[in-house]
Amino acid sequence: MPELDTIIHQPARLQIMAALTQLAPREQADFSFMKAKLGLTDGNLGAHLLTLEESGYIAVEKTFVARRPKTFVSATAAGRKAFAAHAAALQAILKSP
Amino acid sequence: MEYSSEEAARALATIDASRSAMRQIVRAHRGHCYLWLWGVIWAAMALLAEFKGHAGLRLGNWLAVAGMAGSFLIGFMQSAQLRAPLDRRFLGLIAVIVGFAAIWPFILQGPADAKAGFAYVALVSMLCYIVAGIWFDYYLLWLGLAVSALILVGLFCFKDFFWWWIAIFGGGSLAGTGFYVRYGWREIS
Repeated sequence: MPELDTIIHQPARLQIMAALTQLAPREQADFSFMKAKLGLTDGNLGAHLLTLEESGYIAVEKTFVARRPKTFVSATAAGRKAFAAHAAALQAILKSP
Repeated sequence: MEYSSEEAARALATIDASRSAMRQIVRAHRGHCYLWLWGVIWAAMALLAEFKGHAGLRLGNWLAVAGMAGSFLIGFMQSAQLRAPLDRRFLGLIAVIVGFAAIWPFILQGPADAKAGFAYVALVSMLCYIVAGIWFDYYLLWLGLAVSALILVGLFCFKDFFWWWIAIFGGGSLAGTGFYVRYGWREIS
């Protein structure tokens, strides 16, 4: 049976990865926008993003827009692959007797 | 690590909900605003030329300038939530195409009339769509090819009704594709 990814399986990170993998490969989502959509606090989202970034599943880009600091996040190729494998493992559990 | 099928079902439901919410947001950011804007502008430019002649064509040029400003504004507003980093090579390629296309009418002293002139500019725009389609997302390639063919058919087969043809099939194709982009879902790889 395929292995579940313990990093992705945490509920908030699962939500983050599910959302980010819906973006096209070049697209990035704004941190504040993600926070509002996922209903997480600054600290909570920041901690989960750090875990995912350290695992190589997402890329974080800090920049300035109209002189204001902005953080954009996107799923990496490795993250997309890991998420697809995780979702497949969940499906396998569901189908197993 | 052992997981029950109930836990797996809950996790999959979370994934589905998150994906579905993100898809709604992504749909609101995938180019339909530009297509609606330019569909309306093309139709308005063609109808102004039909009903107001040369004065309408001049006014149409200002509409195109307003469209460019509108496109910039849409891009700026949408990039606050989702964005794709600027691709400098693509922008460079588009600048080369537009620059190259802008020089030849002066050197060759063409196109012959206002309809051919409009068709020329529209075909150059569609070439940019084709390049963008190859570069980013294939629907723009098919849109560019289809509208290019429609422009040529209109110019060579229905020249007496050319402005109406452009308003309906040019502007209509752009705006119609906008609805497809807004309400359909495509994975982009």
